[in-house]
Amino acid sequence: MTGPSPVLARAQALLLAGRAEESLGELATLPAAEAVGLVAIQLRCAALAQLDRWPEVAEAARAGLGAAGPDPDLLRQLGRAEHALGRSEVAERALLDGLALAPQDVDLLCTYADVCAANGQVDKAAQLVARAAAVAPDAPVVYATRIQVAYAGGDDRTAQRISREFVAAYPENPAAHALLGSTSAVRGQVGPAYAGFRQAAAAMPTEQAFAESAMDLRIARHPLMLPLRPILRFGALKTWAVAVAAIFGLRAAGVPALSAVVAVLWLLFCVYSWVVPPLVRRWLRRNWR
Amino acid sequence: MQDELFSPTIREQPPPGKPPWRPESILYPAFFGGPLAAATLGVLNGRRLALPRPQLLAIAAAGLVAFGARLAVSATVDSASGVRLAGTIAGVLVWLVVLAFQRKPFRTFSYRGGDPARLVGPGFAAFLGCGALEAVLILVLVR
Repeated sequence: MTGPSPVLARAQALLLAGRAEESLGELATLPAAEAVGLVAIQLRCAALAQLDRWPEVAEAARAGLGAAGPDPDLLRQLGRAEHALGRSEVAERALLDGLALAPQDVDLLCTYADVCAANGQVDKAAQLVARAAAVAPDAPVVYATRIQVAYAGGDDRTAQRISREFVAAYPENPAAHALLGSTSAVRGQVGPAYAGFRQAAAAMPTEQAFAESAMDLRIARHPLMLPLRPILRFGALKTWAVAVAAIFGLRAAGVPALSAVVAVLWLLFCVYSWVVPPLVRRWLRRNWR
Repeated sequence: MQDELFSPTIREQPPPGKPPWRPESILYPAFFGGPLAAATLGVLNGRRLALPRPQLLAIAAAGLVAFGARLAVSATVDSASGVRLAGTIAGVLVWLVVLAFQRKPFRTFSYRGGDPARLVGPGFAAFLGCGALEAVLILVLVR
């Protein structure tokens, strides 16, 4: 994708370093004739996408498709943008147009899998990502999409396992650490989750979302939140089953007084779990900002 | 290019309305409030998650059946704690039905980056309102 122009090379390098704003500035220095070239438009779309400026991504991709003709990468950017703007049907059309041109394109397959998963079509998403994995089993985007599809299907254990593999294969990749962080958080493993996001934020300080998540997990690690760990770790259902079994088991065993104590403690715990987390969150956030 | 995987399957979603509650959280009002509280919150949440109508009806039916069972139990046992226990068990069973229908759609909602609504207010309202309603109905009908 490296263009002949040094401006394009610089813009691409900045983009890879996560400095999308500067990359756009670099692209703006291009003379008008070069600015409408395919590579320039692809870089512009990628930079805008990195900044979550989706309406502009869609606009630039459409303009590029009009000027340069059908191109798988621009169709993928258009699909991402339309999906992010909540128009999944339009997104699907763009992605399928791209896949008609390049049926083995790993990025397109993964983007389409993501759109399908977000629309509740997890089985189809899994098939798409399996096809991408057959082409490029070790591509970062394939790891990331496999994790997302596992999460969308509710298989949190598999999602975390693939995240570990992703981190092992790409120890320098901030997205890998962030995914290990979030899949650990979903499973209630606060320690590894915090570590994952802290590493991600350290590797990519420009990404605000990583810092936000690391902050959220610092809140979850607060001592006042310690009593809530069992619910995070084992889920509400199992924690409740244990509590209820203890309360009624003690009563059945002929110690109603102890059973009543456990019941009252449990009720207090429930109230605590509703009242304290928002307070801790507000308190720590105020100190943070 | 004849490939089944590459045929369009996505339908435009209706614009998002109120965000749903976390289905797991309905356990609290279900436990304390009983089957009607669980079913009421389950149906309301099902509408927020845009569940198909048969599933909403199934949740409502589960609530009514569980409440009927609680009435029957209440007619046969003497102790107040037995009546309460029956309400809790019936509520949790209805919650399991709610969870069975709503876990997947809710996961899709959070995959799309949605933040769930807070259940504290509606949960307390359902616990108090439906709990009291059940108590009155039990007193009037079978005690």
